[in-house]
Parts: sequence; structure tokens; C-alpha cells
Amino acid sequence: MSGPRRVLVVGGGITGWSAAAALKRRVPLLDVTILPIAPSSDALADRIAATLPSILGFHDDLGIGLEDAVLRTGSAYRLGTRFHGWSGREDDYVHAYGPHGEAMGSAPFHLLWARAAEAGPVAPFDAFSAAAAMARAGRFVLPQGDGALAAHGFGLVLDLPRYVAMLGAFCRHVGVRVEPGALAGVERASDGGIAGVRRDDGSTLAADLYLDCTGPAARLHGQLAAPREDWRRWLPCDRLVLAPGAAAELPPCETVEAGTAGWRWTGAADRGEVLAEGAPSIDGETIKLAAGASLEPWRDNVIAIGDAAVAIEPLEWSNLHLAHSAIDRVIAMLPAGIPHPLERAEYNRQALAEARRVRDFVLLHYVTSRREGVFWQDVASTEPPESLAHTLRLFRERGRLPYYEEETFDRDSWLAVLFGQGVRPRRIDPLAEAVPLADTLQAMDTYRTHLAQAIGHLPTPAAFLAAQSRKLHERA
Amino acid sequence: MAGPERLRVVIVGGGTSGWMTAAALVRLLPRRVSLHLIESEAIGVIGVGEATLPHIRGFVEKLGIREADFMAWTRGTFKLGIEFRDWGKLGDSYIHPFGTFGRGKGEVDFHHYWTRLRAEGADVPPLEHFSYACMLARANRFDLPDADPDKLASTFGYAYQFDALLFAPYLRAIAEDLGARRTEGRVVEVLRDGRSGDIAAIRLEDGQVIEGDLFIDCSGFRSLLLGEALEEPFEDWNHWLPADRAVAMPCRTQTAVTPYTSAIAMPAGWRWRIPLQHRTGNGYVYASAFTSDEEAARALTHAVEGAPLADPRPLRFRAGRRRRSWSHNCIAIGLASGFLEPLESTSIYLVQQAITALIELFPEKQVSPVDRDEFNRLIDLEYDRIRDFLILHYHATTRDDTAFWNYVRTMTVPDSLSEKIELFRRAGRVVKYREGVFLDASWIAVYVGQGILPQGYDPRADQADGAVLMRGMQALQAEITSTVARVPEHLRYIDRYCAMAAAA
Repeated sequence: MSGPRRVLVVGGGITGWSAAAALKRRVPLLDVTILPIAPSSDALADRIAATLPSILGFHDDLGIGLEDAVLRTGSAYRLGTRFHGWSGREDDYVHAYGPHGEAMGSAPFHLLWARAAEAGPVAPFDAFSAAAAMARAGRFVLPQGDGALAAHGFGLVLDLPRYVAMLGAFCRHVGVRVEPGALAGVERASDGGIAGVRRDDGSTLAADLYLDCTGPAARLHGQLAAPREDWRRWLPCDRLVLAPGAAAELPPCETVEAGTAGWRWTGAADRGEVLAEGAPSIDGETIKLAAGASLEPWRDNVIAIGDAAVAIEPLEWSNLHLAHSAIDRVIAMLPAGIPHPLERAEYNRQALAEARRVRDFVLLHYVTSRREGVFWQDVASTEPPESLAHTLRLFRERGRLPYYEEETFDRDSWLAVLFGQGVRPRRIDPLAEAVPLADTLQAMDTYRTHLAQAIGHLPTPAAFLAAQSRKLHERA
Repeated sequence: MAGPERLRVVIVGGGTSGWMTAAALVRLLPRRVSLHLIESEAIGVIGVGEATLPHIRGFVEKLGIREADFMAWTRGTFKLGIEFRDWGKLGDSYIHPFGTFGRGKGEVDFHHYWTRLRAEGADVPPLEHFSYACMLARANRFDLPDADPDKLASTFGYAYQFDALLFAPYLRAIAEDLGARRTEGRVVEVLRDGRSGDIAAIRLEDGQVIEGDLFIDCSGFRSLLLGEALEEPFEDWNHWLPADRAVAMPCRTQTAVTPYTSAIAMPAGWRWRIPLQHRTGNGYVYASAFTSDEEAARALTHAVEGAPLADPRPLRFRAGRRRRSWSHNCIAIGLASGFLEPLESTSIYLVQQAITALIELFPEKQVSPVDRDEFNRLIDLEYDRIRDFLILHYHATTRDDTAFWNYVRTMTVPDSLSEKIELFRRAGRVVKYREGVFLDASWIAVYVGQGILPQGYDPRADQADGAVLMRGMQALQAEITSTVARVPEHLRYIDRYCAMAAAA
């Protein structure tokens, strides 16, 4: 192997440990070292407990099962997010993971639902999602069998300190070299990259490739003056107040409530508020936000991972997902020889396409809101980026969603938020009309009946976790 | 039930595009369209022997057509891929399979392991020996894929080779059965709405005026509605794809009825060979800047394998596309919208994609610019990606034996392509798209087949022990050989499955 051999990961939060673990586990021939400096307070990927379903795939690639990731670290399951007060009305909706309803013939379910909703009152779109129905009923079960509960998605709520400890142990087990210390400085190479990282004891760590997992401060990558793209005109919230969770009972999903100039959430492990102006309504630690992304997350021999590359509010819990995805992308694109500018350019193209679509999805919640107030009217009236405008144009016309490369949130997620926020297509698609309305209504009714039957006897999330833990201990 | 108003859809031109569109619309949007197709028997149909891509099967299925019946009718044969002869250099032959290399069980794609063993100096057989589809094709055998994803025989797809002149009538019967109306006649005038500029009606030679809400231009190269009447400009790609003529001539099949199409490089272009049940289709696609029509016809006549069944038939075209395929209330489908030479059998695929997009974006009486722009965006994407893939075949060559090959070898190619080539050359990386017709294995087959071998490979391929890897490859090769040996010969399979009527 003639490509980069020595990789230095800088950052001791989830992002850094995840990067080191994945690189060493999946490319054992690499020489992986981590300088686990304490994560900075504004590194959201390292600090927000709620994660997307994609974390399970990341664990799979490492050979980490649910027992290690959830039960032994005291984590919990989550089915999605309940949004309250976003559309400007009193009702709420659940953006839960996994499919909604069933297609009929050539007509996808969401077109059938839109057509039925046009003809008369129907149950909300999320009533046709198994995960959303469980979330509303306060129940949980892992996907099982081949019926109504076969295909729902779920993410995790991490117990952050215990999860980091688990990753640390994993890293040591697979042979990551851990070099403790504080970061004292960065030595530049004559060709533009980084020659070494200085520790507070005066020693230097050198590598062929540096992964910057130090949060928005980007203490390595920030030295290279890579250009950034500013998203604040679309996403003006500039601070986040973070506090420990206070839920009495383990909730099956987060609740996100729109406020006067921002929003606040309550989850299983944490709660917080994201604001553009005004005083926060909760006590906690204040963290600055500045939405935007690096245009060159991979520059010279440094790759910015997670918040070091993309800064975005945690509205859809995408911070750690973006970090994981960057780590996967680094592994998939590790150069075979001396890194070539084209390889970096291709990495950056993909990374930026992904970041922009996450931005679009987060922004979707704001631009389709119909809340009163200066803040909400301002965000809703700012011309969105063309990719989001294109998505909205097509959807509003006839319920179609365009396809974008590197999309994080799948069609069901887009549909859950669009319909949830009250966006409706202007007209009915001919494919949906090819199915008689009575048949559609009948099928929708049957689907909900099956769902209700399947969910009725399920345990609460706390009871489900307790039963799983019991089984684990019985086997041990 | 009072549904929305039916749209009066007028299709101008029969042939493959016209009847494919007609059949799909009446079948999938029965309550939305009243369909009227105008064609003239006096105007010839381009359709030479048609080779297709696996996507065609989705189309056939959606129309509710029974595969065996359709193949018997069109005298079709199966197609596992395309053989390219003499492209990278004289004497070369490789197959672009409709299938994968290896079994997809490794941490990284198979060709990375293959590259690694070669880099270590191991004696490794050519890449196509590790593709079940390629080896099945080379052995002239065929059977349908296995549905069990663990089976080797699940690692491929297939398409058809059929007689396009029989395909259109087959679809016509289906379309007319479902209520499509057909009028024989030649369009002499296109009448436009004075205010909107939309097409209001067409006038036929006999004076008949046919009004419509939506006009579909399937008139072939002439592009009667979109090009001539609406004057949509043509974007010319001749500088990248200089072939602008073809001469076609069917012959008796002298050698095998292969389960693949062949594209054989020629002094000023390339020659297709498409074996059907009753004959073999041949044609020479050439650049008129580099050879004369007479010379091309002579070269083709000389090259075909059996007795000619017709005189050489000339065709003229130009690579490129209309700037927009959908303008006003007129949508061009097929050659009326653009042309890319049939090197990778994309003609029918492009028709099919346009039909799919049209159905998904089917308009109301008043065309919405949102639908129209999205349709055009989707079609552009398809054209651009196929264009790059075609250029790759010409450009990735060491041939310098004729002026034509010197030109294509040294011409400047689009940046989007040169970047793709460089990424593959460096570490075997294929730029991934989730949309677009040709996926990873297709690009890998052509790169490697035409001599662009990766200098490096994915570092993860180093994980496996070299000896274990070598044994795994040998075992795979042995399994492919023994599995292929159990599959029937292509012609025997056809005889059993879909033989054409004896004296049709």
C-alpha cells in the first residue's frame, strides 16, 4: 500500500473516537493515532444525544450490535420527532422513520393519500406510519415479522459519557494508539498542509493524513483558510441553550415545539432551545451557532469531520450523522497513492452535496411554517436555495419529489414533514386517479386497523428496554 | 364518476417511439387520455434490428405483455451484454455485461482485489472470467436469472435483441385494443395558437385537421413539430461523436446466434451485429469526414458473415439533442428529440425514460412550466451521462491506424469525463450516481476492456491474505465454469421458450 499510512485523529468526543474506531477497524493496515482532546462545548455532534437511524449502519460496519451500543451503554431507542406548533395551527405531527402506507398499482401511497385528503377528511399522513403510531401511543418494539411492524426505522438516544467510554475501549481493543495531551499548536508544511501537531508537553505527532474532529473551531482545518459557505440568511438562529433532560418517563421520540423566535426540544436525555433573539425559557449552557459549511472539508492533508465541516442546528438530529457519513466517505475514498487533487475534489463535491441537502431539509421546516410573528415571517419569506425551491415547486405542483445525489433524508422523511406542515400538492396525480377513490379509502382504513391491532399490546419504551436488559443478564 | 377532462393527445409518427408511447399512455392513463396517432406508410421506419438494455423488461411487464409471446412475435433473442472488438487496440475483445464482476461479497468491489493480485505479480485471468454474465455469453448459453441472491446465477440481468419493424406493429395491436385511434396520413401543416404559440392542430395531406391538447413528436430525425414548427435549437455533439452516417444490411446467420450484440471497430467507426432468430442485423456507423458512402457500403458488404438479405440501406444523422425536449405543449420522444449512436443500445432506453417521465409528469390541459422544466431536466441528465459513456469508448484507445482513430484518441473530451477517467486510473474508483443508466460494473467493464487499468486500488483490498484471496478467485472461476456448463445453449433455450412461428 503506497497511500497514506499514518492517520492522526484529533478530538476526543464521539466524532473523534468514532473516526479512529472506524478507520482502524475497517482498514486495519492503517496506523491510527488519536489525540483525544476534550470536545469543545459547541461541537454538537459530540453533545446531542438523539441520533438518526443511520447510526445503526455505522455500528454494523464496526461489528457493534445493539447489546453493546444500547444496553451496555444505557442508551435508549427513539422513533422520530414530534413537531408541535410549526405549521401555525395547534395540531402536531410526527416525523418518524420508515415507510408510510402501501402503494396500489403504479400509484405510491403519498399520492393516494393526497388524493383522499383532497376529497374529504382523512387521518393525518403520520397515522399511516408504524413508527409514528407507536410514538404517539408511547410504545416501542424493534422491527419484527412481516406485518405492520416489519419495516419501521429507529435511532438511538445516547448516554454520551458511557457511549464515549465504549468507543474508547473499542479503539484500544482494535489497536488505535491513544496519545493523551492537549493541543498546543499546529506545524504547517511547506507545501500547504500540516506537518505535525504539537502537544502541551512539547512533543509533536506527525501523520500522512489528519482528521480534524475538534468541532466548529476546526483547530487544524481552520489553519488552512478553506472557503466557507454561510447559511445564516436562511437559518438565522445563532444560539442554543442545552440542559440535561428531565423527562419522568422515557419518551419514544423527541418533542420539538416552535417558539417566538426559534424552537425548543425535550428528549430522553437532554432538552434545549435554539434561538435567534430574545431570552431563553430554560436554564442551561449557552452555545453559539453559525450555520454554514466548508467548501473544502478535505484540503491538503487535512479532512474536517462533523461540526468542523458543517455547522447546523440540531433540528433533525443530523450533526452526528454528518460526522459518520464523512468518516464512511473518507474510508471509501482513501487514496491508493499520493493523494491527487481530483480525489479531494470528488470527496468535497459529495460532502457538500450532502450538507446542502441536510440544510434544505432543516430549512424546509421554517419555510413551510405559517406561524405569526416577525421571525417566522422573515424566515418563511427569504428566497430558499434553488435545490429546496425546486423540491417545493415540484411537490406543490403534484406531490412529486425530485431525486438528489447524497440525500440524507429519504422520501418518507420529506413527505412526513411536508404533509405534516400542511403543504399539499396543487393537483392530483393521474397515477393516483387510476385507482378508484373508494378502493383507496378502503385500503387506508384496513391499513390503520391492522396498525392499531399490532400496536395495542406493545410495551412502553422503558418496559421494552428493561425486558431486553433482563434477557441480556440472564444469558450472561 | 366525473373525473378530470381527458386530454386529447396527438402522436405524430408511428415506428418504435410512437407506438411505445401510445401503448404506454393508453395502458397506464386510461381515463386521462384520448389518443390519436398519425402515421404515414409512405414514410419509412428507421428501426433496424434493435438491441436493448435490461430496462426494457420493466416496460414490457408494465404493459402486461407476456415475454415469450412478445419474443416469438418479434423473433427476439436474449442479450447478456455487448461484445466490443478491436476498440482499445486491434485484436482486443471484451464484453460489457448486464451483470457484476465477482459476487459482491467482499468489503470492496471485486475489481479492487483483482487489481491488487495483478499488482503483486500474480498470474490472474482477465476480469471478464469473473463475470458470470460474460462467461455465459462467451459460451453462447442462456437461462433466466435465479431469484435467489445467494446463487451465482442471480448476478446478471438481460435484455432482448429483436426486429424493430415487428415491435411497432406488436405494440400497435395492444394500443388499438385499448382504444388508441390511428389515422393514416402525412402532416403538411402545423397550426399554432396565435397568442400562446402552442400547437393547436395539424393538417394532413388530405385536408383533414386534427386538433389536440398535447402533441407528441415521434417523427424521427425530421423532428416535424419540435424542430421544424417550434424551431427548438439543436445542440450538436458532432465534435465528440463524429459518426454521422450508417449503412445497414441484414444477412443470413452464418455463425452462432449469440446471446449478445457485437460492436466491432471499423476504420472510420464501428459495425453492429445483432443476431435475431431468423437473421442477423448488421450496420456500419461511420464518420463521413473520414470515409465515403461507397467505401462504407463496400466495407460492410465485405464484413458481414452470410448472404445479404437486402441491399445496403443508408442512414444519416447527427449526434446531439434538442435544447429542450418539451416546449409549449409539444414533447419530442425518440429521434425527434435527439440522437446518440446505438453503440450502447440506448435508443429504446431513451424513449422509455421519456415515456416514464411523461407519465409521471403528465400535464393538465394547461401545461405547467414546473412539469415541463422537470421533464427537460430529467432528459438532459440521461443524455449527458450516456454521451460521456459513449465518448469513453472512442477516446480510451491506443489505435492510431486510421485518421478517424487518431482524431477520437486525441480529441478533447468533456471535463466531466476526463475527471471520471482519472479517478478510475488512480485507484479504480467509479464516480457513483444513483440516477443514470450505466452503473459501476458497466464503467468498470469498459475502462478495463479498453486498457484503462487502475494503477492503485482501494486500501481495504489489502486486508485479505493474498493466498486466501487467490484461492477464493480460483474457486469463483471454477464455480462459474461448472455453472455455465449446466445452462442450455442459447438457441435451444429460445426453441423451448419463445420460438417464432415457422412461416410467419
